[in-house]
Amino acid sequence: MLVLTRKMGETITIGDHIRIKVVEMKGNQVRIGIEAPGDMRIYREEIYLKVQKENQLAASWSLTDLDNAVNFIGCEKE
Amino acid sequence: MKITSTRFGEFDIDESKIIAVPEGILGFDDRRFTLITPEKHAPFCWFQSIDEPALAFVVVDARETFPSYTVALTSEESGRLMLGDGAEIVVLLVVTLAPEPAKITVNLQGPIVMNPHRMLAKQIVLEGSKYSSRHPLLPQVAGEVNASHVAG
Repeated sequence: MLVLTRKMGETITIGDHIRIKVVEMKGNQVRIGIEAPGDMRIYREEIYLKVQKENQLAASWSLTDLDNAVNFIGCEKE
Repeated sequence: MKITSTRFGEFDIDESKIIAVPEGILGFDDRRFTLITPEKHAPFCWFQSIDEPALAFVVVDARETFPSYTVALTSEESGRLMLGDGAEIVVLLVVTLAPEPAKITVNLQGPIVMNPHRMLAKQIVLEGSKYSSRHPLLPQVAGEVNASHVAG
């Protein structure tokens, strides 16, 4: 991993279109400003990991649970 | 071709029904799936791995279960899915089943977006707190479910 030291207000540029700036430091938190092309997806890593974890939970299902769910929906409709 | 599924046994699908997921579903290596829409399990469908019999996701069609749900794709994502302007997409939401129906949730934060013409799909991760990865499914479905299915 490339590690760079930046002071408050300083910026890192990635390629031609992405700029990352340290905008605030408070205790153990750093606020970071990101300039990037409008429709590029930028997200906190936790969200990516959350979706990954949810996929893993979702993959371990049983036919019994599915049948229950289908029956339950059927009852609700009637 | 013959597909083996741990849960559903062996079945035949036409090769044209294979959905390529070049970047995979997050956390899994599988790259080829097929969508199975058994009528008796409506509104649920299965997103079954072609190569791993044990891997299948229960999914619902967002258009049917969450009509107001929208996903804005980036130009890069549209490109990967080979979507032209105004091309039709199918948005599948991954369901996390639970023994208790009230605890069944749907992942609104990581929809699987599919180009049905090219049979290409990609899981998209949406930033922000607008959508949850554990959104309760049933209050929604009980009111709106009908007999229609995802088109294959």
